[in-house]
Amino acid sequence: MDLKNNIKKVLIIYLLLFLMLFSYIGYFEVFKAKEAVESSFNSRLWVKRAEVLRGTIYDRNMTPISISKKINDTKAVRDYRGTQYTAQVLGYIDEKYGITGLEKKYDNVLSEEQLDVKETITNLVEGKNKKGHSIVTTLDMNLQKKCYDLIGDNKGAAICINPKTGEILAMVSKPSFDPNSLRKDWKSLLENEDSPLLNRATNGLYPPGSTFKTVTLVSALTNISNVENQTFKDSGKLKFNEKEWIENYNGAAFGSIKLNKAFYKSSNVVFGGLGLTLKDQLYATSESFYFNKTITSNDIDIKKSQFPKAKAAEPGNLAQSAIGQGTVLATPMEMAIIAAAVANDGVIMEPYLVSKILKSDNSLYKNITSQQLGTAMTKDISDKVKKYMREVVLYGTGRSANIKGLDICGKTGTADFKKNGKDMPPHSWFIGFAPYNNPNIAVAVIIEEGGRNSEKAASIASKIINSYER
Amino acid sequence: MGENKQIRLLLLIFLFGAVGFLNLFLIQGNKELTPIILYGVIILLMSYSYFIIKRFFVDGDTFIFMIACLLTIIGIIFLYRLDILNLYLHNQDMLANVKQPRNITNYGLKQLIYFAIGITLYLIIIIILRNFKRLRKYKYIYLAATLIFMCLSTFFGTEILGAKNWVFVFGYSFQPSEFGKIFLVLYLASALDKYESWKDLIEPAVLVTISLLFMVLQRDLGSALIFFGISVTMLYIASSKFKYILTCLVLFFVGSFISYKLFYHIRKRIMIWKQPWAYANNESYQVVQSLIALGEGGLFGKGLGFGHPEFVFANASDFIFVTICEDLGMLMGFAILILFFILFYRCMRAALRAKDNFSRLVAVGYSSMIAAQTLVIVGGVTNAVPLTGITLPLISAGGSSLIITYFALGVIQKISEEGKM
Repeated sequence: MDLKNNIKKVLIIYLLLFLMLFSYIGYFEVFKAKEAVESSFNSRLWVKRAEVLRGTIYDRNMTPISISKKINDTKAVRDYRGTQYTAQVLGYIDEKYGITGLEKKYDNVLSEEQLDVKETITNLVEGKNKKGHSIVTTLDMNLQKKCYDLIGDNKGAAICINPKTGEILAMVSKPSFDPNSLRKDWKSLLENEDSPLLNRATNGLYPPGSTFKTVTLVSALTNISNVENQTFKDSGKLKFNEKEWIENYNGAAFGSIKLNKAFYKSSNVVFGGLGLTLKDQLYATSESFYFNKTITSNDIDIKKSQFPKAKAAEPGNLAQSAIGQGTVLATPMEMAIIAAAVANDGVIMEPYLVSKILKSDNSLYKNITSQQLGTAMTKDISDKVKKYMREVVLYGTGRSANIKGLDICGKTGTADFKKNGKDMPPHSWFIGFAPYNNPNIAVAVIIEEGGRNSEKAASIASKIINSYER
Repeated sequence: MGENKQIRLLLLIFLFGAVGFLNLFLIQGNKELTPIILYGVIILLMSYSYFIIKRFFVDGDTFIFMIACLLTIIGIIFLYRLDILNLYLHNQDMLANVKQPRNITNYGLKQLIYFAIGITLYLIIIIILRNFKRLRKYKYIYLAATLIFMCLSTFFGTEILGAKNWVFVFGYSFQPSEFGKIFLVLYLASALDKYESWKDLIEPAVLVTISLLFMVLQRDLGSALIFFGISVTMLYIASSKFKYILTCLVLFFVGSFISYKLFYHIRKRIMIWKQPWAYANNESYQVVQSLIALGEGGLFGKGLGFGHPEFVFANASDFIFVTICEDLGMLMGFAILILFFILFYRCMRAALRAKDNFSRLVAVGYSSMIAAQTLVIVGGVTNAVPLTGITLPLISAGGSSLIITYFALGVIQKISEEGKM
């Protein structure tokens, strides 16, 4: 009777279906489960966070900036004492709007204290409430506020780094917002065209303008022998063909000049010309400064800055890139790193924000030390570049940054850009460090649409340095 | 398998239950004895039924009974765990003065009562049914009953969870389509057991098509799928013609395609299935939360009572599989699937050994009903196939489903007895 045979066949088909289901579930658990668990739709994470009193974020002088306070037995509220000053860098945590900035990066740490066996047992016995680790940041709250106030009503960003360690001393992005009233302001924050939620310091991409000449200078000193003794002819205009040329600011012509003067006068003609000579070598130098690469950091996400691979057949693009225009784009963090590398004998330190992790009783749990990212130039060359940058402030375009006794070094920039095809007032840039002999702070300041002369950013930067050094 | 081994298996099941209910007693946070009482009643029920089956119906397959009971015990343990959770959530809401506090549930106790009814029905079937194959002559009664149950909720139905497949009678609710399945299998068995040519297939084909149409109208896609699965399986067994199956599949796809074009709720299901994460806040919220629960559980789970079933929709019925997986892990999920397959195998074995075609077809119909239902709902909540809301047999909370499953198993048990004579 073939009914029996049929039954056996059906049995096998069902067996295969069961096996397929098994394999599918196994596949899901191995390859997909992690993604599912970590998705923002997983409410369990909020339950877990609600069970512990979140740790505090301190500045380098142990001033609490973000702190959790209990309002009753089961609920706590996050008090952002850094208000609008630290909104983007420290971030916020909200069940409805998610979690950003340092709060996100250190979520695991802040929301769960790692205890040894003994501590776990004592906590269980004493019925203590669970707490998270606290973290000590490298931020200097006074400097942070100073940067914020100095930028004023402008849009822009400022970053201060300790060039020797990579500690981020201040990081400000404007316009800003107060995370304490996030729920009330959310809609207007989203609709605001100036995107206050964006951290311009790490995620804003701008043409770097003349500040980029620092990189071109490093490349020239590295690749062209005896370039500093060469004399350049600057007629005020560098022509590529009938339609394309670049010219100096205000059409100035500097005549026969040396490289150092071309730098402190910020000659587009000379540096554009260097770009034509350097070609791919400039591309390589830019990459040694982490253009087109991700700057790794445990504490912050930094957007990739971009330097184009130009073709030799397009001299216009090569020259534009060498003076930080065209399609070169950099984050303020990238530019701060360039200044810091020069200040630190050519060595790039990894920028970081958290120096210590504390236990809930504020005793030390873990120290975080600085890391080297790479070397952008030799000490010889960095010494020369330092000197050149000092001259910018003493005799050149950066004179408005000169404050007696501080020995500030720097480079200015005005970056042309277009919005919807229309020429806009250029961005005002300054990157620099101080003091000349033994730098302990490197800064980058950008004022969006700051105007034709770069004094705005330069004077803000010098005031920031001034407030730090005194 | 000797009697000693069977007793040992029974004791192992009791031990499993003991561990489970002791666990519940410990995690519930108060000194209520309910879990212990539940356990006691289960042991009494099982021992008594086992005694009757063994004493009077020596030839029957006791495995079917034991595996079914084990799956039900897993269900009751987990449902009581949900009761504990819901009580806790209710109390929290009361403390926080929430306007509509979450409900207190009584799944565990209710399920035990349904279990008792189901087991009783099971015993009654094997005691009073003397000669099973005589039942084949009531073909038109089955036909009428199938039609009545199929259309019942289209006309008197209430919509629950997006499907209009519930009927309320005197304050009790039940799913007519569940009972419809029972009669459909009986009808198909009596219509197909003397199969000779395609002409014999016209009447069953019409009935199945009408039933499917009602299911689609009631938006009960899960049941529609099960109906189709059962019918095709039985058709193949009876006719041995692969080309019929192929025709059915083609017709099924054509029908699905037309329904896909016609009905928004079907398009939505497919859309969710393809891209669950894209609509995670809205349409596919249930599936995404289900996947997260499955992922949270991992291999070993978080431990009974330590997961978060409160984030999973319909955690006591359709989605109970993933909530179990979150607490007890993928291994428990696999264990449950293996148990279902063994159950299926034992049922098909009864079909193999049956002496007449009618009994064979009934056994195959009921076995494939349970297996298909398991595949469809477990596949659905894990997003292996588009989700269609049906219960996981024997485990999900719900009287209709549990009782008809025990009814079906009782019939198979009876058939397994005949096989040995």
